This record gives sequence, structure tokens and C-alpha cells, in this order.
Amino acid sequence: MSDNFAEGSNKDTNSSSLLKLEDVWKIYQMGETEFAALKGIDLTISKGEFVIILGPSGSGKSTLMNLLGCLDIPSKGTVFLNGKDISHLGESELATIRGQMIGFIFQQFNLIPTLNTIENVMLPLEFQNADPSSAKKKAAELLDLVGLSEKARNLPSQLSGGQRQRVAIARSLAVDPDIILADEPTGNLDSKTGTYILDFLYDLHKKEGKTIIIVTHDVTLVRYAERVVHIRDGLVESIEERQNN
Amino acid sequence: MRNSNYLKMALSILLHSKIRSWLTIIGIVIGVGAVVGIMSLSENMQKDMEERLSEMDLTAITISPGSSRAMMSMGPGGGGGGGSSASSEDTNLTKKDIMALKSVDGIQYMYGQISGQEDVYFLGEEAELSITGVDPQVWQYSTTDTVESGRLLEPSDNYVAVIGSGVAEDVFDNEVGLNQVLTIAGKSVRVVGILESEGGSGDNSIIMPIDAAVTLIEDAEPDVFDTIVVKAESMDIAENVSAEIEEKLMLSRHVTEKDQDFSVSTSASMVETASEMMESMTLFLAAIAGVSLVVGAVGIANTMFTSVMEKTREIGTMKAIGATNKDILMIFMMNSALVGFVGGILGVIVGSMVTALFPLLGMQMMGGSVSVGLSPTLTAFGLSIAVAVGVISGVVPAFQASRMKPVDALRYE
Repeated sequence: MSDNFAEGSNKDTNSSSLLKLEDVWKIYQMGETEFAALKGIDLTISKGEFVIILGPSGSGKSTLMNLLGCLDIPSKGTVFLNGKDISHLGESELATIRGQMIGFIFQQFNLIPTLNTIENVMLPLEFQNADPSSAKKKAAELLDLVGLSEKARNLPSQLSGGQRQRVAIARSLAVDPDIILADEPTGNLDSKTGTYILDFLYDLHKKEGKTIIIVTHDVTLVRYAERVVHIRDGLVESIEERQNN
Repeated sequence: MRNSNYLKMALSILLHSKIRSWLTIIGIVIGVGAVVGIMSLSENMQKDMEERLSEMDLTAITISPGSSRAMMSMGPGGGGGGGSSASSEDTNLTKKDIMALKSVDGIQYMYGQISGQEDVYFLGEEAELSITGVDPQVWQYSTTDTVESGRLLEPSDNYVAVIGSGVAEDVFDNEVGLNQVLTIAGKSVRVVGILESEGGSGDNSIIMPIDAAVTLIEDAEPDVFDTIVVKAESMDIAENVSAEIEEKLMLSRHVTEKDQDFSVSTSASMVETASEMMESMTLFLAAIAGVSLVVGAVGIANTMFTSVMEKTREIGTMKAIGATNKDILMIFMMNSALVGFVGGILGVIVGSMVTALFPLLGMQMMGGSVSVGLSPTLTAFGLSIAVAVGVISGVVPAFQASRMKPVDALRYE
């Protein structure tokens, strides 16, 4: 599969839509019974948006994040990425899309403990077969951007939580993805560090026009968002447009 | 992902692995060490055997009494050393048997031979030595021994002896020289020749004309032999001659295959038997070593499964940031291949240490010429089986890792 998803054909009517979900269901089989985590979600996320998906635990927001991040495919309904239907793709095609278009930031940072800081940042580039020297150069630039150049040779275990999350941000930017998808990025950080991380992401959004999607249950983060999508019981409860500068 | 990156990832996992993984490697180390050590031993013994074979007289055929195949009697080639130590009390080989064989084609010559252990005195010292009585007419032509000093036996000899180098130098406090006299059963026996050292039991034997030996060896009777030595005209016909001898003797002694009271063996067949024995011994040891390799493989597989389980979340993360199934498979396969490789290196080191110890483990009896050291081929072989074991035991865990769904793997606690 060599299609370049980054430059999709954009047949969709809404030309600026990056991700579009149409009547998306996710149903889990739990023994005899079925459990619907998502019950028909319609959602469009445009290029360059800063969106927060807000919901209590069990609302289905994690399932929604998996679909937005191309980690999973829906049981029913369609997911479009750059106008292209990705709801029936196989694992290796999804892996390619993720590797090229989406940067992940996790609550637990999810750095590879056996690799040092710069190797962690290089990893997404290596999965894309990047040239080793250019990958290293790019990773060094990104570490500089998050202010951790002097920690390049340290293992994740030698870093503080905030530093680890900054490494994770650098890693998420390695392939220069269109979308940054963060799952509870401040969940394991104190409020000061959390604020720093969010400010940083907001800056990226403002300066480089990155599309940022944050999935969280923390209502204090909504002040960063241009749009807040409230999720409850597997459905979009409301969408709140915010004026932000 | 590039191959060099797979290697880097695999190496980083190996370097940061817990002590458990290193313990797993021990299984491979012992397995490879044993296999390599045993193969090296067998290789060296094979070389030694070939060397001996090239020195051996392959036209020699030995007939001994008793139905058991007396394979350990090294025949006349060994300088009359040992002889078969009476495998049967009540059967004898006599002059009659030699007469019966006169009609067999392809025999260059044959003679009877006796042997026994007797006390030998020299300058007031006493030692029990093996004495072999040979036909002085032909022995000098049939033996492969060479004299260091003096001469071999001659037809006119009587109470004279050719002695092995061990008898001359080591047995008695005083060195036995040419023309000195040994006393055996009250008779004086003059030394006319000293043989070159062969490193075998032949070094400690005394060779005399049979007529004299008969009077010295207890229980020996004239015209009754412990062994009949036959020399075939050429190596190629030795087997045929041997078969014909067996047939003829069965007729003349009125026995059938069932109650056969003698055995005929060619030196070639004795060599064969010895090397067959050696081969099966090597095979047996190699099988044991193989078992330890299998155990090592199971150990690696077990560790790999645990490692994959522990790294579930990392696998999920890698998949999220773009790793394909193939990437994950390759990383874990490479990791277990590396475990095998490291085990292989240590195993080869252990194996070469074991090989170096062979000479200390009584391998001198093989002739003392067993060379030590591991051949490059064996080293390469040891490393490749180690890597193969690593790869094989890593296949299933790595495959399992590669098939994990990213969503489930990320959620794993």
C-alpha cells in the first residue's frame, strides 16, 4: 500500500475536513452480551483545529480516541482521513498511516525504557525507513525544541515525569505529522508541569498550525480548546465552540 | 525499518535485560560447549586413528582361539604386544591348524605366536613383563617395528630377545643396554635389539623366538599357539583370505558357525571396529549434548514469552507510532538470535577450554598425539547452531508479539 494518505483526494464536500466520522459504532463482544462503546458518532475535525474531547470515564472517549488515531476500526460506520475511507483497512496499512500522519502523546508517556532519549525520538523516523543521519539530526532539533538537548543520552528512567512527557512530545513531532493526538497528557503530571505541556502544545498549534486533539476528563484543559466535544454514554452530547486567542 | 535498526533495538533489549535472560543463556552455553567439545574430541581422535592406520600393516590377519571376537589384540603389527590373553581355556591353535591353512591362496606367510606374563630379572630387580614368542624366520619381515639399536630376530636365534624401549629405559632402575642379559624363568636371555618407542603397550614387551619362549612361559607347550599370524599377499585380498581361512579352519576343526571356537580378524577390520566404537560413543555423547541444547532452546523460548508479555505496552506504543507487524516480529526474532549468538560465543569458549583439557583427562592412551585447540570450522558451526537455536525458540514468541492489537497492547497493565 503506497497511497500517500497525507495528500488524499479530498472528494469530501467539506474541503478542510481532516478526520470525519459518520455514524460510527464500536461494539465489543463480552461473552454472550454485546456492549456498545460508541453508538453512532458523527464528528468532523478540520485541519489546524485544537479540539478537546471531554468525557467521564466509561463515556467511550478512549474508544473514540482509538478510532481517531487509526489504532482501531469501527464496527459500523465510516471513518474518513483526508477524505479517504479507512474503516476497512488492515493492520499494516493502518500502521503506515499512523506512522506518517499521527503523533501520539500518552498519559503514561510510553517511552521505550531500553532506548535513550534521542533514540526514542528517532524511533518513529526509523519505522519510516528514514536515513539514519537525517533522523538523528531531526531528533536533535526536536530535543532542542523541547529543551532537553543535554539529556539526549539519558534513559527515560533518569528523567522526571515532565521531562519524559517533553520527550514524548518531541517523539510525536518526529515525522512531522498532521495530527497530534494526546490521551490525558497531563494525567500523570503536577499542575505546573501540566500547564507547561499544554502551553507547549498550544504554541505548536498556533505557530505551526498542527491539528491537536486532546482526549481528557480534566475540565480545566478546555480553556485551550477551540472546540470541546462532550462525550457521554457513547454519544456526542454537545459540541461547544470557544473563542480563543 | 532498516535491518541495522532492528539490530539496534534488539541489542538495546538484550543489554537492558534482566538477570533472568542471562541465566537462560547458560543452557545454550553448556549445550554449544558440549557439542563443540565432543566434536572436537572426535575430530582429533579420528585424525589420530588415521595416523595410526597409515602406519599399520593392513595385510595382517590374526587367528585367535575362542569364539569371542578378540578385537583388542592389536595383532603382529603392534610389535607382538599383548597378544590375546587366552579368551578360551580349552581351545588351542596348533601346528595342525597351520597345516590346514597351507592350501589357502594369497598367503604370503604365516606363523604361530605365543605370549604370556613372566617375571623378568635384571641386575637384582624384578618385573612382570609380557613375553611374546614369534617365528624368527618371518617375524623380521612381517613386523612394522623398527629397531633403535641392535637388530631384529634372526632365524638362528635362540635365547635372545628384542625389547621395547620401555623395557630398556623405564622398567628397571638401570637402563638395559644391548648384549646385556635378562633372566627369565632361570634362563639367561641376551638383548640383541631395542625397538623404537611407539607409545603403546608394545613398549613394555619382550619379543623372543618361539622355541625359546615356549620353555620360559608357564603353561606354554610346543606347537600350541595363542595366535596365528597370517600375512596376505596384498591389502586388497586380505578380506577374502580371511574368509577362506575361516572356512578352512571350520572344516578342519569340525565346527560350525554356531560352535566356532576360534576367530579370524584382519587388522583392517579391527581398525574398523575400533573406529565404529568410537563413532557410536561420539554419537552418544553428541546426543546428550543435543539434549542440553534442546533444554536451552526451551529456556530461551520461555524467557522470550515472558519478555514479550512484559513488553506488551512497549509493543503497543511502537505499533501506535508506526511499527508494522513485520517490524515487531523482526525486533524480537533478532533479539532471540542475539541471545543465541552470545550463548554461542560463550559456548565456544567453554568448548575450547574443554578441548584443551583433553590431554589431562587421560587421553595420552590414545598415543599422546591428540592435538588441542578448536578448528575454525567447528567454531563457526558452534556459533551457527547457537544462532539457529535462538531463532527457532524465538519464532513463536516473536510472532505472538507481532500479532498483538495495538489497542489491547496499549491498555495492558
